[in-house]
Amino acid sequence: MPSRSKQKKKSEATGQAMILSPKRLFVTLIITAAALLAFKGTAPAGRIPPPDEYGMVVIRNYSQKAGFAPVVFDHWLHRAMYTCRLCHVDVGFAMEAGATKIKAENNSKGFYCGSCHNGSRTHNKKVIFAACPGTAGQEDRTRCDRCHSLGREVKRDYEFASFIKDLPRQTLGNGVDWEEAEEKGLIKPVDYLEGVSIKRSSLAAQKDFSIESKSTWMTDVIFSHKKHAVWNGCEVCHPEIFPSVRKGTVKYTMFEIYAGEYCGVCHDKVAFPLLDCQRCHTKPVR
Amino acid sequence: MKKTALFITLFISWALLLPGASPAGRLFLPGNGYAFAEEDWRGEFDSICAKTGDSMELPTEELKGLISRCDKLKEVIGKLDESTKKVFSKRLQMCRDLYAFALEAKEKK
Repeated sequence: MPSRSKQKKKSEATGQAMILSPKRLFVTLIITAAALLAFKGTAPAGRIPPPDEYGMVVIRNYSQKAGFAPVVFDHWLHRAMYTCRLCHVDVGFAMEAGATKIKAENNSKGFYCGSCHNGSRTHNKKVIFAACPGTAGQEDRTRCDRCHSLGREVKRDYEFASFIKDLPRQTLGNGVDWEEAEEKGLIKPVDYLEGVSIKRSSLAAQKDFSIESKSTWMTDVIFSHKKHAVWNGCEVCHPEIFPSVRKGTVKYTMFEIYAGEYCGVCHDKVAFPLLDCQRCHTKPVR
Repeated sequence: MKKTALFITLFISWALLLPGASPAGRLFLPGNGYAFAEEDWRGEFDSICAKTGDSMELPTEELKGLISRCDKLKEVIGKLDESTKKVFSKRLQMCRDLYAFALEAKEKK
């Protein structure tokens, strides 16, 4: 591969300007198209969801076949009430949208949504409505519509705007600083569900560590291991998302992260978006 | 009086070490040291996965033991009804994977 100075000299010698020939243009276009295809659907250039839709998951594995609209799951509401660990470890929801393949039968046996949505469990002294039974009569139908609501006008118990009204704000994602909200005691995510969770040994203290930035113009990441472990436990991240056992052996790239790997499993989907660079790249400039 | 106390002590020790009655008692069972009635699978699951919070602090032998218990329990869970199997197979796998991760980290240190 010739260096830029050599290329410049060559073009000066031949008297040609650095304009792409049709052949080069064609090759460049092919490479660009291939790159765009490789990162299809994961590039940040996609639609940025409004705050109330950020983290929203549409679950449509079986709903339509059963005559229901797909489920609209609001992460903002559930994350304010429960830790990530509770749902993704104790309840067993997969980290990938649609991968759990929840059936009404699972819910009615007290699993997945039915772990809480069983008509008897409470949150803040309020009874949590039961999940939709597989074969719903007209009476159940209204209840089913509370979750099976894609494309429907459904009255909700919790409206986004009023729910976040008193929570500390951030510019991106849901527009809420969930971390600060918890620190101030404005939200108290539940981490234990009777009959579902396990009484665990207390979480071992985790040390924060820094991850060196590859770019000279970007400061290093200070990764808060403790903060992540408190919300996620250990098994959400290890080894499924971060399989490496030795720090520094895997070099993470922002391309991979934007493609939904590593930090990108949560950030840009539910946790604050990747565009909010300075929330991770926090190490002071030397 | 001393005889009665001795008898009670022996009886309690025997009951605690009775195969299947307690984790200690299970050690006396033939095979891999663990066996449990089908209805006990949940207790075994809870016991195995209760240590994920400090998995990195556990000694190598304990981690190996936990992984082995996971493998045993997987077979039992595999025979349960579809919903239970689906949920608990995944939950158990997460515990197992974490213990294997912790073990690998220790061995590579």
